[in-house]
Amino acid sequence: MMLAAVLAIPLVGSLLLWRAVGRLATALHAMTAALTLAGALAVAVTVNRGEPLAAFDGFLRADALSAWMIALIGIVSALAASEAPRYVAHAPGRFYPLFHLFVFTMLLAVSTDDVGLMWVAVEGTTLASVFLVNFERTRASLEASYKYLLICSVGIAIAFLGTVLVYFAGIQQFGDEVHALRWTTLLRLAPGLSPRVIELAFVFLVVGYGTKAGLAPMHTWLPDAHSEAPAPVSALMSGVLLSVGVYAILRFKPAVDAAAGPRFARGILLALGVLSVAVAAAFLWTSPNYKRMLAYSSVEHIGLVCLGLGFGGTLGTSGALLHIANHALAKSTGFLISGRIRAAYGSAEIADVGGLMRSMPRTGAAFLAAMLALGGLPPFGLFVSEVMIFGAGFAQGFPAVAGVSLVLLVIAFAGLLRGVHAILYGPPVRELPEEASGWRSALPVTAALALLVLTGLAWPPGLADVLDRIVAIVVP
Amino acid sequence: MTTASNLLAFLGLVVTLLIVWRQSWPARLRLFAAQSLLLAALASTVGVLAQRRGLLWVAAVVVVVKGLVIPRVLARIGAGAPVRPIAPGRSSGITLLVAGGLVVAAYVIMLPVTSSVELPTEGAIPLAFAMALIGLALCVTGRDALGHILGFLVFENGIFGLAILATYGLPGIVEAGVFLDVLVIVLIMEAVVVQVRREHDSIDVDRLRELRG
Repeated sequence: MMLAAVLAIPLVGSLLLWRAVGRLATALHAMTAALTLAGALAVAVTVNRGEPLAAFDGFLRADALSAWMIALIGIVSALAASEAPRYVAHAPGRFYPLFHLFVFTMLLAVSTDDVGLMWVAVEGTTLASVFLVNFERTRASLEASYKYLLICSVGIAIAFLGTVLVYFAGIQQFGDEVHALRWTTLLRLAPGLSPRVIELAFVFLVVGYGTKAGLAPMHTWLPDAHSEAPAPVSALMSGVLLSVGVYAILRFKPAVDAAAGPRFARGILLALGVLSVAVAAAFLWTSPNYKRMLAYSSVEHIGLVCLGLGFGGTLGTSGALLHIANHALAKSTGFLISGRIRAAYGSAEIADVGGLMRSMPRTGAAFLAAMLALGGLPPFGLFVSEVMIFGAGFAQGFPAVAGVSLVLLVIAFAGLLRGVHAILYGPPVRELPEEASGWRSALPVTAALALLVLTGLAWPPGLADVLDRIVAIVVP
Repeated sequence: MTTASNLLAFLGLVVTLLIVWRQSWPARLRLFAAQSLLLAALASTVGVLAQRRGLLWVAAVVVVVKGLVIPRVLARIGAGAPVRPIAPGRSSGITLLVAGGLVVAAYVIMLPVTSSVELPTEGAIPLAFAMALIGLALCVTGRDALGHILGFLVFENGIFGLAILATYGLPGIVEAGVFLDVLVIVLIMEAVVVQVRREHDSIDVDRLRELRG
């Protein structure tokens, strides 16, 4: 029941918002976001206290892994929602309904047991967000949304092919299994499935969902869409949409490991992970636009998550999961702040923004903190999860892969730092009006950064248990 | 069943190759509609011979959505575009050769699937996959928005054909999701293309070249 309610909140909110105008729209938007957050956290707590939640005859199902994603989507969407009213004053009707529909499709993707419905929901995320990317209706945002729709549609069609092959393998081996597309059934049948077919299916699934996850070389839509979308949408896309893509791959991984042995999936994930970090390292040095810089940093971090999943074991997998959460917090914060910078300077080019520390000291400090967190420095959580991932790499016997990725990581960090330095301490470009102050605009960002310090310095009680529960699902 | 499915899938592939060969937009559109009707025939044949009632519904929806609605929307998108792209010296020879190569590739890639089972329809599976691959190639090499959409739809038809041949129909919710998805993508594409045309006075997406680096 609770699970159905969490899905119903953003859906109903979205439907109501099609009709709402003015103050009412803003209020309804805030209420929907707050209720979504509350519901998501309630689901997360309930699942981690007891058994997985299920609804509609097991069609919807949330285990610890789903609960982790649901909580993240709830938190990031609340963060993004808190910034949204700044951007949409001129056309709330084109923004709020799609925003909550987008949140709904992401929640649906991670809370169903049916991999077919998961596919439908992931495709739904593209359809719901394509007009959000084009919200500003400039030439550049139009191009970005065209690319986004086309590349992700092709990608998701490839994932459909993979899903078909998984279903095919299931019914070939076990006759007309009624629930052959249910993840729980799939996992049970997996050891008996034809390994060659499952391997082929996994290749299609990784290419397909990897496109949504922004893994190189399928990432080409990502920098455009992330940089042209309004900041709250970029925050949602980078913070959780990419992770939903990873989640879809993650769901299939235990079945593939059981059917074809762990080496196959590991090889693919490690190769794509290293490639993604390498591509990001190169483009972080050349990107002239700070929103694009953040987008390439997402490619880097999703690559790291893949490396963690590829290294595997308890350490690697829990590191990857923690990294998903840390990245979601840090990157959404980064995008929200960059949106404020863009609003103040009217440009997203690094060259047009200089001396931010002098003209907007509070925003500058928050930007610096978010960027250092993204660079993986302590005391922020990304440091801990990166240590876990690379620790797993060396412990599981992949020193070469881990070593190369570490070098690439340093190059990427230097590139990021170069851009950040130019923005914060470069020569001031022009005088700016006083920056907005007050606790209300500072609260969401501060809260996200505080959470990051928490995962970096002192894990709240229970976090280790939660991660263990998820690892037990992914690495049975 | 083997004969019928092989024949229909083969015809589907021939139509796909014709789409590659033809340059005139209205002709390609008619070919796409014909391909969708072949797909519907395939679905209903498999549905009757394997006694899957659900596939008859699927066939009906294919006729309506892909045979009627989508071609109509595509015709609306294409209205005003030049009938054939002005590309002097560009012949379909090379692309047809590539398409032939993709058919061979399809047989190789689908080996694990066809060798793992004894299905009456297994001979047609690589043919459907070849359709998908050629569609993907069309989509990637398409010069304008119309080429991209058409390639994507052919790609999708191929995958859908493969799904029917390999599984005799997917669970209803997935089928419904697929149709809804294709329809919404085409409609969104139309909205985007309308905007591109207003901005750039052409649907040549080569002009979308602002985002780099």
